[in-house]
Amino acid sequence: MNTLPWWRIGWRNLGRNRRRTLLTALGLAVGYTSVVVLTGLTNGIIDDMVENATSVITGQIAVQAPDYLPERSIYETIGGRDGVNLAPLLAALSNDPAVAAAAPRVYAGGLVSSGASTAGTLLLGIDVDREAATSRLLSALAEGRLPTAGAREVLIGRELAKQLDVAPGDELVLVAPAADGSLGNDLYSVSGIYSSGMSDLDNNYALLPIRTLQELVALDAGRVHEIALRVLDPWDAPDAAARLTTSVGPDAVSLDIRPWTTLRPELRDYATLAKSSMWILLVVVFAMAIFGVANTLLMATFERRREFALLLALGTTPRRIVAALLAEATALSLISVLVGVATSVPLIAWWRHAPLDLGSLMGDFTMAGALVRPVLRTSSPGGMYVLAAVALLATALLASLYPAFRATRVPPADTLAGR
Amino acid sequence: MRPARWCMLALAFPASLAGQRTPREIVDHVDRMLRGNSSRAEVTMEISTAHWARSMDVAIWSLGTEYSLIRIGAPPKDAGTATLKIDNEIWNYLPRVDRTIKIPSSMMGAAWMGSHFTNDDLVKESRIIDDYEIDLSFEGARDGVDVWEFVLTPKAEAAVIWGRIEERVRRADYMPIWVHYFDERGELSRIITFSEYRRMGGRLVPTVMTVVPSDKPDESTIIRYRELEFDVGLDPSFFSLRRLRAGTR
Repeated sequence: MNTLPWWRIGWRNLGRNRRRTLLTALGLAVGYTSVVVLTGLTNGIIDDMVENATSVITGQIAVQAPDYLPERSIYETIGGRDGVNLAPLLAALSNDPAVAAAAPRVYAGGLVSSGASTAGTLLLGIDVDREAATSRLLSALAEGRLPTAGAREVLIGRELAKQLDVAPGDELVLVAPAADGSLGNDLYSVSGIYSSGMSDLDNNYALLPIRTLQELVALDAGRVHEIALRVLDPWDAPDAAARLTTSVGPDAVSLDIRPWTTLRPELRDYATLAKSSMWILLVVVFAMAIFGVANTLLMATFERRREFALLLALGTTPRRIVAALLAEATALSLISVLVGVATSVPLIAWWRHAPLDLGSLMGDFTMAGALVRPVLRTSSPGGMYVLAAVALLATALLASLYPAFRATRVPPADTLAGR
Repeated sequence: MRPARWCMLALAFPASLAGQRTPREIVDHVDRMLRGNSSRAEVTMEISTAHWARSMDVAIWSLGTEYSLIRIGAPPKDAGTATLKIDNEIWNYLPRVDRTIKIPSSMMGAAWMGSHFTNDDLVKESRIIDDYEIDLSFEGARDGVDVWEFVLTPKAEAAVIWGRIEERVRRADYMPIWVHYFDERGELSRIITFSEYRRMGGRLVPTVMTVVPSDKPDESTIIRYRELEFDVGLDPSFFSLRRLRAGTR
């Protein structure tokens, strides 16, 4: 009962018609490569989108007081009414290997007014240097300069500037309900205008040096609403947040440390959905391949009618004939996988190193609130390498079942007699 | 002239008139009680929240439902801050920066000076009887006081923010006891209670109004009338942006 000869026969049969074998194997290999490469490109687009969406302002991790969300009450500062000693906390948070930068923020709602125009805005107090290392918002500066720490200066979005009809150097009035119940109001000058391309940001935010905003809304220097953290690979953020929760969390102040996947579940869901849509591609590509491979193998078995008739006449069981043909299909798919891996791995490595730039075909655009570059970034297809190989093998085996069945039904006497 | 006449009649013969008055007339009377045709008031506004408590001295001038001017006299940090309302528009004057700001319509739901009143409360100019259907829901003794209770339901075309209003009024002298405001989902949103009924400016009025938001029952804004005069002879030209900036006396 040695099965080895059937493997050898299956393998040798591949050499019977090399051109046909090569074409079939190439067909399967192209299917494999296209699934793997498209998965890499799709993952790249998704990663790009996530990184854009989180790095413009949200940050990959947000540290807040436990009750800050969802109401964003001005009173719910980190460390409560007493605030917190910021420098050690920032140092502790930055200590995690995944955290590249940390920036404290103060949020307030208010009115910004110039001449006869007034608009409701979100006031965002920032540490300019730390913010520049953490989010990309400040790099969207389009006119003027960034606000100077300690100065009564404000950086506003392009749309808001248009609405208020102001330019750098102009004067603005900011009015905001303060934490002591009074109505904070003061005069500020526009230091610069940013244009992020995201209409929500460009319409609704006014950025001030953190201490300047704290003075407007009567908050002490130690009172901030949020510390945004930058994590280079967004998918590392959930683990980093969990680590920080156990390492920094139990300290004197209570903190909620949340990764973007929790802060922006819609973004996470979209990314997961887009990634799982690759399954559809996998199924479609290999479902198409099944029929091509089945056709080729069926032709091959018709060609070998006499061979099968002889084997049957000599007493070979139908099971062994099926085994020989399945072995043939397995050998074929192994060749295909080898060819597929040999083309897709270098291709992906190349595109990851030098992303496809479609900038000449189209301009920048926004999607789901995120600025998308027309550069097709490629990410690792991850488990798709294995998944596609398994799918390819299953395809070949499935496709050979019917031809194998037909081979066992060849009538030996008639066939050998040439009838 | 109408409200003044109703008031005099109400004060003179409240019991004898009760039978002839419809719920609509009673609610309208209560609605206008603190307004008169024109009025000037000095009030103390005591705001208490979970985070701070403060008291402001506020002067209010009003003419009909279209015009009002509100100026803060104390504490010093806010003194001189003023709000002008003409029809549906509101301007704030900020003395610290010497600027006047028109409140955008998107901010109408925001709190006025940190209180539990919104800008919208200042703006609503229409009379309550124009926007609501009014039904008498109870008539008789409550806690030993003879009262009416009314349910106010918005008319289909009315642009109002409340889903329903309930109001309890003393039968003897038409004094309001409380008003409950319900949101569109039918949940209680805030309660205004009236107390310390005294004669001011020639009328019997509730001199203390307490607003309690239902989602924060520990917070409140209390308005205490210190002075109240009716029919003080204001005309629309009084309510100007110049007056808003310059003060009023």
